[in-house]
Amino acid sequence: MKGNVKSAARKFIYRESTVGYVFALPFIIGFLGFTLIPIVSSLYYSFTDYNLIQKESWIGANNYMRLLHDERFWKSLKVTLRYVLLSVPSKLCFALFVAMILTRTTKLTGFYRSLFYVPSLIGGSIAVALVWKELFSRKGLINQILGIVDIKAVSWFGDQKMALIPLILMTVWQFGSSMIIFAAGLKQIPGTYYEAAKIDGANRFRAFLHITLPGLSPVILYNLIMQTISAFMSFTQAFVITQGGPNDATNFYALYVYDNAFEYYDMGYASAMSWVMLAIMSLITLVIFKSSKHWVFSEAGN
Amino acid sequence: MKVKRVLVLFLAILTILSLTACKSKETDTSADQSGNSNNTAETSSDGEKIVLRMAWWGSQARHDKTIEVIEMYEKQHSNIDIEYEFYDSDGYFTKLNTLVASDKVWDMFQLGGNFPVYLSKIVPLDDYIASGVIDTSNTTDTFLKTTQYEGKQIGISNGVNTYGVAYDPAMFKEAGVAEPDQNWTWDDYAKACNTIHEKLKIYGSSKFDDFVAGCSCGISQSDINLNFYALTNDGLGFDDYSLLTDYIQMRADLTESGAYPDPGAISEIKDIEGDYLVTGEAAMTWVASNQFIALSQAAGRELKLATIPRKTSDGPAGAAIQSSQMFCVSKDCEYPEEAAEFLNFFWTDEEANKILAGERGMSIFSNVTEVQVPDLSSEEVAANDFVNLVGSFEVGEINPVSPEPYQAIEDYYDLIIQKVIYGEFTAEDGAKGFYEFAKSQFE
Repeated sequence: MKGNVKSAARKFIYRESTVGYVFALPFIIGFLGFTLIPIVSSLYYSFTDYNLIQKESWIGANNYMRLLHDERFWKSLKVTLRYVLLSVPSKLCFALFVAMILTRTTKLTGFYRSLFYVPSLIGGSIAVALVWKELFSRKGLINQILGIVDIKAVSWFGDQKMALIPLILMTVWQFGSSMIIFAAGLKQIPGTYYEAAKIDGANRFRAFLHITLPGLSPVILYNLIMQTISAFMSFTQAFVITQGGPNDATNFYALYVYDNAFEYYDMGYASAMSWVMLAIMSLITLVIFKSSKHWVFSEAGN
Repeated sequence: MKVKRVLVLFLAILTILSLTACKSKETDTSADQSGNSNNTAETSSDGEKIVLRMAWWGSQARHDKTIEVIEMYEKQHSNIDIEYEFYDSDGYFTKLNTLVASDKVWDMFQLGGNFPVYLSKIVPLDDYIASGVIDTSNTTDTFLKTTQYEGKQIGISNGVNTYGVAYDPAMFKEAGVAEPDQNWTWDDYAKACNTIHEKLKIYGSSKFDDFVAGCSCGISQSDINLNFYALTNDGLGFDDYSLLTDYIQMRADLTESGAYPDPGAISEIKDIEGDYLVTGEAAMTWVASNQFIALSQAAGRELKLATIPRKTSDGPAGAAIQSSQMFCVSKDCEYPEEAAEFLNFFWTDEEANKILAGERGMSIFSNVTEVQVPDLSSEEVAANDFVNLVGSFEVGEINPVSPEPYQAIEDYYDLIIQKVIYGEFTAEDGAKGFYEFAKSQFE
């Protein structure tokens, strides 16, 4: 009897799946503790008036109703959408451009590739945002360069039409991770296609249009979705450089969530905003996925 | 195969250990604390140390001075160990709120005008004053009242201060503008800004605390009996939004003319060293009297203090002396009496306050200010004289409290000013919109 239990325990321990779970344990605990439980509890809090200090009480969908009448909320949504629409395409184009240059095989390709990847590694950090802030400050480098060609200094962060531009440029500058993925994708396109096109007399532009783009479309889809999601969640640039100003012109959605949560201690409201954001992002991702049928080329199909 | 098994087991044990280790650390200390609290009286004789946790926000100078005083106290009381933490004010309140939520507030913590939110976490000091642990014989009821709420002594002021306008007399002279007197008005301020801007090609004024200037003071300047927040702290203390219009209009006009920094330039000011008065790019700036010393040192040239401009030269000043901040004892504290004893030392000990040197504001204890006199620099004398001057102004009943949700209201005021600057609203509509927003926050 005792032996039976022992051998059963033994069997359990040495089972393939048990070993797998044990190794995955750190991740599972992290996922539960830092992702799943907070997500679920934020759903609960979004229906309450929780403010960290007092015990929360259930207020139904009030937080969601409040959003409808919050002008700052609508403006932050507009600003974020504009930012996503401007920054994601420019970033992807730039990343593709650099990737194409870097797929030409020279000895230093590896070196250049890592060099271009560096901004993305440090990109999300406070330090880079601070540097960017200095670059575009009243007496910063950009204004000094403008001064040389006799253009009047621009108050980048004092002009509501201009303030978004430095933030978009900073995002585009962090093109490294998309570039690496593009570069890998470019290598997957067989060289024979290009040779065939050359023999048929196609120029470089046509080859790009009819071979590179279709061949790369699954990678473009992947990059588009990843970058769109991360652009929606942009926070650091606005938090460090502009604090959302001037006149809320750079008040990104994530920054407004943060302000509500940690400046005004309106945790319930901030949770509701996060859930609205999740719904919007899911919807946009879904639309991109659905539309991909029409433009993503798959070698297996047809 | 065997190696693999051993490895799997080893890693599994390691994972479990590291997880439980994190947990047991917490339960250990809490068990320790509750164990200690059962025999508080014995701990000192046991030679076991009483640990008090303390936190504040402020500048580097404040951190250095406070730490020096803590070390001085620990040397005199070998059984006390004070663990301290310090933050900038934003980080401080974020941390404090998470501690409130988990019932682990620091034993002694600094609070300003937003203290009512934390009332449920504060031990009133009345018992310790009555029993003599805290010695209030060298201060007055007026000063004690600055930190009382509903008849209870919430804390004791670390020092009093008031707001003013620091200016550079040399720049005023160069631009041919008369130096402000104590009855100057917002019109005088605006004219001075514009003249200095035109003559010297710099900003007339650096960043003002628009909310305090336009709302807290602005409302009391309109009518000595009014406050921005109602004395009951459940709403606004006035009902005519047009009282706010003039200030918003003036701020927008000055920004338009370039005599005041635009919102982008304002956001470039990170600290006192970056203030445009310090860098020589402006002739005036807003300052709390206790910060005047740091401001002068950073500027390295002669600065003077003027009162906040009034709405009319014979109208109310709208400014009052206030507690700049206080220390409170928290309900989560295991040794409130020891905490009160330390704070008494912090507030009233003459040697300790020679080190603190009024950095948190002018001390409310006369024995302390007396011993500080010989060491005062000319800026410190100016700051103290300024506090005394403002203290002599006639005031109505001033509400020292910033009730929740003050942060949202103050942010919205800045936003409205920007909307008026960018022509989205007229000043009148801005004032109205702001008034309605502020009112709705209390519903």
